[in-house]
Amino acid sequence: MDCSDNTDNNSNNGNPEENSDFEISDILNFYTEKGSVTDPQSMTFSISGEEHTLGNALRYIIIQHPEVEYCGYSIPHPSEDKLNIRIQTTENTTAIDAMRKGLEDLKSLCAKISETFYKANRDFDEKNNIS
Amino acid sequence: MDLFSPANKPEIRIQELTGERIRFILTNTDLSMANALRRIMISEVATIAIDMVQFDLNTSVLADEFIAHRLGLIPLDSTEADKIKYPRDCNCSGACKECSVELNLHVKCTEEDTTKDVTSKDLVSHDPRFTPITEGPKDAGILIAKLRKGQEIKVKCIAKKGVAKEHAKWSPCAAVAFEYDPFNKLRHTHYWIEEDEKKEWPQSKNANDDFPPLDDEIFDFTAKPNRFYFEIETIGSMKPEDIVMNAFKKLLEKISSIQMGLHSNDVPINGREPTRDVF
Repeated sequence: MDCSDNTDNNSNNGNPEENSDFEISDILNFYTEKGSVTDPQSMTFSISGEEHTLGNALRYIIIQHPEVEYCGYSIPHPSEDKLNIRIQTTENTTAIDAMRKGLEDLKSLCAKISETFYKANRDFDEKNNIS
Repeated sequence: MDLFSPANKPEIRIQELTGERIRFILTNTDLSMANALRRIMISEVATIAIDMVQFDLNTSVLADEFIAHRLGLIPLDSTEADKIKYPRDCNCSGACKECSVELNLHVKCTEEDTTKDVTSKDLVSHDPRFTPITEGPKDAGILIAKLRKGQEIKVKCIAKKGVAKEHAKWSPCAAVAFEYDPFNKLRHTHYWIEEDEKKEWPQSKNANDDFPPLDDEIFDFTAKPNRFYFEIETIGSMKPEDIVMNAFKKLLEKISSIQMGLHSNDVPINGREPTRDVF
């Protein structure tokens, strides 16, 4: 993804005071944290409504990526419904791409384990109906 | 990435499966995945439970809210919970057939010299898919209250779909046991002892399925847990294998919704106003 020319199109919003968070999505309150867009290689993603359940699994998957130099997550405050994931990558990719790949890998891993469980369950049933 | 290499292929072995419990071993995966599965089964698998209670009559000795709370905790058959909507996703203003189930309870004690038990069997559901669970015809049901002669309870209950994150009554699990490394080879825990660890700390039953350490084994500080022992005990509202399958489904849904959120980022990153440098 090319982010180098984003400084030129800055006249579409009149109130920078209220917009210090960079909104990626209006659908799911998914945005990158302050100041993170200037460097596409290092970003903090903020996801609302998620916790350690997803945070830790996603972190684990993302650090498997060879181009990722750092990935960590935190829940800044327990009463805030918010999960931050920090990704820093090498020059060869961007943090967003690493996040995208991480999500895709986590999804296929999850699907794989799910399938494994389904098969184990079916085999268990078959074995016990016969005997 | 070596996530899907043959050496890293996740495996599951089911050891025990009955109507109310499942024991299985998950191997060749990371602790974070196993923990995600555990957390989802505890708190994010959707079930049906009574959420609103309207009291038409209550002359029993128990307070309305006390009975309402007891009603909420009664397990309702939730095997078809995915066929019903969450109240927040429904277009109706209060409760409709799409997002709720009505159950009625009307009991009056007419017996002279004994008390009458009000149980979960007295709850009459409007939807045969979502009824209070029973263990066969001999099951006496779950006791809600006891009535003396002349006392009466008449209530209307609205059951809704929810997750245990909001209230534990929606949890399909009574317990989720989770263990790895029963011999403490990884030294993730420290046993307090008087004299002899082996004498004072009995082995977990999962130790029979694990590999005991050799007497002269050197501590491997790079070792990672990769064998996880699960035991899930249900409250009866759902089959144990369904809880596990629904947990995976839920995890996939979570990932998909984040992918959707990230996807819309494809366009705006170049078109929007850049943020100020705050550092």
